[in-house]
Amino acid sequence: MNALTQLALLAAICFAGEVVAKALPFAFPASVVSMVLLLLLLLTGALKLRHVEQAASFLTRNMAFFFLPAAVEIMASYQTVKGSLLPLLAVLVLTTVITFGVTAGTVSLCLRVQRRRGKERAA
Amino acid sequence: MSLTDTPIFGLALSLAAFALGAFLNRKTGLPLVNPLLVAVTVVMLTLSLLRIPLDHYRKGAQLVSVFLAPATAALAVGIYNQRKVLKQYFLPVLLGCLAGSLASMISAYLLCRAFGLEDALVRAMVPKSVTTPIAMAISESLGGVVPVTVAAVILTGILGAVTAPLLIRLFHVTDPIAQGVAIGTSAHAIGTTKANELGPVQGAMSSIAIGVAGLITVLLSLAL
Repeated sequence: MNALTQLALLAAICFAGEVVAKALPFAFPASVVSMVLLLLLLLTGALKLRHVEQAASFLTRNMAFFFLPAAVEIMASYQTVKGSLLPLLAVLVLTTVITFGVTAGTVSLCLRVQRRRGKERAA
Repeated sequence: MSLTDTPIFGLALSLAAFALGAFLNRKTGLPLVNPLLVAVTVVMLTLSLLRIPLDHYRKGAQLVSVFLAPATAALAVGIYNQRKVLKQYFLPVLLGCLAGSLASMISAYLLCRAFGLEDALVRAMVPKSVTTPIAMAISESLGGVVPVTVAAVILTGILGAVTAPLLIRLFHVTDPIAQGVAIGTSAHAIGTTKANELGPVQGAMSSIAIGVAGLITVLLSLAL
């Protein structure tokens, strides 16, 4: 399927995602609704990988570029953060280390339990 | 009326700045020379040195931002491609992302409070570990300063990518699955570039964690 048709499909899914997000009784990011919609369409086979693959791969490979305007907006709010730069950086570093440690620890623990059970079942 | 008051200016500047960032990243091979980081610096310098109003840049920048939604939706393809691995390790991945997302939000909240930061900044920092479009949406619905969230997310990603090998040693993470999920949960898409360098399992797990941790963080933020 050609790239424009693929892009049209993705755009249609995103539009549907926005409609669903507006209908929800709580605030939920429309882009995440669209992601779930696309996953469901792929899992049910309603949409084949070849229908979206090229456009999706272009978008995800260049994902960082699409964030550029949002990041530039920091200029407009620089006054807000100016006085708190150091604490903000400290929070960034500490939370990254904590998040990494907690996630890695939890996964390792679960894997050990899962594998032990697997072995017991095999034995 | 000035020359830069046209959508094509912001679009051209964005593309040129990012192309330069990608080029420098390839040339130097340094994780710190991140394409996005370079591009943001170039755009900001250009605007402030040439005294071009941010509003002129915004006209073209809007065209770029529109593609954030389909780019986020496209993450579903990565998850779909890894559905076999995900099925086999569903519980460890899910629980890991859940614990990690909780740890990230709670530690960000408590640390911000401990440093006495103002409310709008605290709300902006809470979703900082997930991928940008999701973090932006959460920050907006919580009432945070969205650009601060974006900057925090990008810096977190770069930090995660640079320190991942160090953190793996620090926490003695030997399993590639645990390494991947930890990188994706703590440093989203930018961290995932490093995970891919460490190995295919790490890369796959990290990309799954971007989506799963993003979803979990959205759900957790609804409870706030």
